[in-house]
Amino acid sequence: MTTRALITGAAGQDGTYLTELLIGKGYEVYGVIGPAPGAFRDGIGRWGEAYTVLSADLTDMESLLRAVEVSRPDEVYNLAAQSSVGGSWVDAVTTTEVNAVGVVRLLEAVRQTAPQAHVFQAASAEMFGNGAEVPQRESTPLRPHSPYAATKAYAFHIARSYRESYGMHVSSGIMFNHESPLRGMQFVTRKITNTVARIKLGLADELCLGNLDAKRDWGFAGDYVEAMRLMLQSAEADDYVIATGEVHTVRDFCETAFSHVGLDWRRYVRTDEASMRPVDVDVLCGDSSKARRLLGWEPKVRFEELAAMMVDADMQLESQADGPVRS
Amino acid sequence: MTKRALITGITGQDGSYLAELLLDKGYEVSGLVRRSSTDTRERIAHIVPRVHLIPGDMSDQGSLIDVMAEAQPDEVYNLAAQSFVGDSWKQALYTGDVDALGVTRLLEAIRRKAPSARFYQASSSEMFGKVREVPQVETTPFHPRSPYGVAKVYGYFITLNYRESFGMHASNGILFNHESPRRGIEFVTRKITDGVAKIKLGLADELRLGNLDSQRDWGFAGDYVEMMWLMLQQDEPDDYVVATGVMHTVRQFCEIAFAHVGLDYEQFVVVDDRFVRPAEVDLLLGDSAKAKRVLGWEPKVSFNALVELMVDADMERLAPIAAAGASEPR
Repeated sequence: MTTRALITGAAGQDGTYLTELLIGKGYEVYGVIGPAPGAFRDGIGRWGEAYTVLSADLTDMESLLRAVEVSRPDEVYNLAAQSSVGGSWVDAVTTTEVNAVGVVRLLEAVRQTAPQAHVFQAASAEMFGNGAEVPQRESTPLRPHSPYAATKAYAFHIARSYRESYGMHVSSGIMFNHESPLRGMQFVTRKITNTVARIKLGLADELCLGNLDAKRDWGFAGDYVEAMRLMLQSAEADDYVIATGEVHTVRDFCETAFSHVGLDWRRYVRTDEASMRPVDVDVLCGDSSKARRLLGWEPKVRFEELAAMMVDADMQLESQADGPVRS
Repeated sequence: MTKRALITGITGQDGSYLAELLLDKGYEVSGLVRRSSTDTRERIAHIVPRVHLIPGDMSDQGSLIDVMAEAQPDEVYNLAAQSFVGDSWKQALYTGDVDALGVTRLLEAIRRKAPSARFYQASSSEMFGKVREVPQVETTPFHPRSPYGVAKVYGYFITLNYRESFGMHASNGILFNHESPRRGIEFVTRKITDGVAKIKLGLADELRLGNLDSQRDWGFAGDYVEMMWLMLQQDEPDDYVVATGVMHTVRQFCEIAFAHVGLDYEQFVVVDDRFVRPAEVDLLLGDSAKAKRVLGWEPKVSFNALVELMVDADMERLAPIAAAGASEPR
């Protein structure tokens, strides 16, 4: 029998990679897409009849109930979120409405209409905030330092509560940063690779960044969606840190990206106060040994490879004769 | 100059005690009240002429901005919440909307209309849930086990975030259970004292409860609101555990409450599975050493005195009803 999956945030980076993965494994996929980029819509055709677009919104319970009723899912992946940390300072209320209360709406919709479905909740390494032990693991206390992080902690806790109290198969993946050519332009990695491409092609002459010393554990989104699926195949629902365990600075990323096209990053990068967050988090480095042990998961794409892949994709995008397709 | 305070949840147990305290201290007190077709002002009836009640709702951001502009508070106490843990399972969404998102709405309203106001957030020992250490202190990691606990953790962190990032004078009081004759009837302590009075007065013959071995750190609400006020008088905002540091079981509460009116609890208490929570929290025991050290705060009313105070109040409230009922044929 065909497995049916419902994905929220299906038009995002993770949603797209996850859809590719699941369709490849013979799933029927129901994608809830918000205001999706045109490029995403144009690509839907490649998934054929196995893919159905649903319209629903995490702020609208009724729409979620309908989405669950229509898709009758075996697996639900909640990837929808207001996902910008900086944006969460500008609009904390909407971020909470979607990322925190929205998860309760979705869990309620699943509990009411498809209680047997296995649910994946996208949690975030941002939940650990400042001063956490290094590396961070599943037992590390949460100390969220932004409205975004606070909403993700809320979602993580409520997901666990539904698992423990209703016996639902709900798992959270505590995802450390994961990047790809599909990463949004507002994220630092993509901002770097896209600007590198534009500088290389003579379309830009500098790159403004915030704190160059900020350290992150960056993996490849394509690897991370595998972990999501593995979590839902497990007999017991649980929470897992998904990370590479390797830490690099923003400066490292710049260096790798610029040198990939034969440029010296120091000539183009300048730091800009406006790009600094009100409070930046310290070292985020995940210990994913639990996922490696219990799920047999492992990241495949290494840091240098990831940066190069993203620069190559942006070179291609920016050098298209008719200009880049922007959302 | 007269200080102005705005209290959300002023019609609740804590709100009413806090309003009394602030009025005694010479504050101008405003209170946020939800529109309701039924009268929710029973607890503040005696002070209504002296407080300024402003209609509004924690789920309506526009109303909170208006309220803030009207009250122009120096101090804001956020006591509004869907505060019953059991119901938070039945109303998980509403609990999240009011108890979590409501805090952010309120903080944003303060930033717009009263940016120098000091802010108190009513955090809860339920945030500790499946406790990581006993007793719990300010640094104990949270592990909430109910939609209520989850929402309160969010409220705690968003308050901390606004303090650290916007420099707001915003503080959390992590309050352990605190009771009084004004406690809602759905809470176990009040349910017991109400049940005891009814049984004593012949209005009931049994008391149905959940897990009798549940233990809690119970204090007196009147003591705890003093602590809220103290927190906002400090130069620096901070987070404090507020607790008695002593734990008692539901059974002990029953024992003292029944004994106070000369009855034996074992003859009247019936355990009913319907009142057992899906996931019980563990040993909630607070260590409020920090509050004692920094604020000089200490609870005054003992456990026995609290139970007896509550039973006496329920006896007094129900006696006229029993007297009226007794004169009529059954």
